[in-house]
Amino acid sequence: MNKFLLLFLILFSFSNFSPKENQFIARLGQVSFFSYTSVENIEAKNNQVVSILDTDKKEIAVSMIMRAFVFKKDLMYEHFNESYIESDIYPKASFEGKIKDFDTDLKGKQTKIIHGSITIHGITKEVDIKTVIDNSDGNYIVSGSFDVEVKDFQIKIPPILSSNIAKTISIKFKFQYKPYEE
Amino acid sequence: MKLKNKFFLLIVFVLILINTYHYIIPLFVDSSEKNLKNETVAFTIHSNDLLRAYSKNEEKTDTIYTNKIIEVIGTVKEISFLNSRNTVILQSNSNTFGVICDVNSAEKEKIKTLKENQKIIVKGLCKGFLKDVILLNCSIEIL
Repeated sequence: MNKFLLLFLILFSFSNFSPKENQFIARLGQVSFFSYTSVENIEAKNNQVVSILDTDKKEIAVSMIMRAFVFKKDLMYEHFNESYIESDIYPKASFEGKIKDFDTDLKGKQTKIIHGSITIHGITKEVDIKTVIDNSDGNYIVSGSFDVEVKDFQIKIPPILSSNIAKTISIKFKFQYKPYEE
Repeated sequence: MKLKNKFFLLIVFVLILINTYHYIIPLFVDSSEKNLKNETVAFTIHSNDLLRAYSKNEEKTDTIYTNKIIEVIGTVKEISFLNSRNTVILQSNSNTFGVICDVNSAEKEKIKTLKENQKIIVKGLCKGFLKDVILLNCSIEIL
């Protein structure tokens, strides 16, 4: 009886050490956003977005640091972090979603809808995002773009600057995943 | 009277200069590739200690390091040129966590000479912690 218990324990501990085959991580994910108005174009990029893809549950999670967005001009960075996003109070933005009808066995590209909730500035909103999932040799690349409304996230823009910032911001993303080892 | 006028003009002129320096120039300066090489460092810390602090209490550690220029001592785990960025990832005690350093494009040649497990000092602007601590605008010193 004791031997069985021992065997069971050994097996259990081994299973714990093996890497999770169904989980993938992207540490250097890229997220960028654009605001186009007749006055000026604002663009910012974040190259250190982390994302975890679970091919078993067909789930995806994304987290990013707002201060890691890089702008062309210092003043934009300052306005974005101090006035609009309030990065001291809400340092991160995140997304959690489920990939609908995700075929994990399919090689190559497939276009799918991810339904999930996005949290920016402390406010969570449900979104559907069209994404292209590229599966090559067990490594995944997920990319796509979508739009958000500034007012949905209770971001206050002073009237004097309202002509400089678009009402709708377009967001682009690209994550290159590797197997997740713990 | 004339002297007073001149004095007044001088003050206005100086004020305009100060304004230009603080508000006008930043509008045109490209901040994405700022070089921190000659800036003063707020903290020098080993990558293991930095990660231990962050995984213990993220909020408190954030208030200490975030948006400060810090120097991190550590060993190279991975070098990546993904998305045409120059990234060096430093090792830590745990496999899951590391320090992601986005290195200034001026030091691209230096990164190419780096090898895994090499000991280096990275100076950069700390941005916070996700699965890794993130440093931007980094410069590298090879030990």
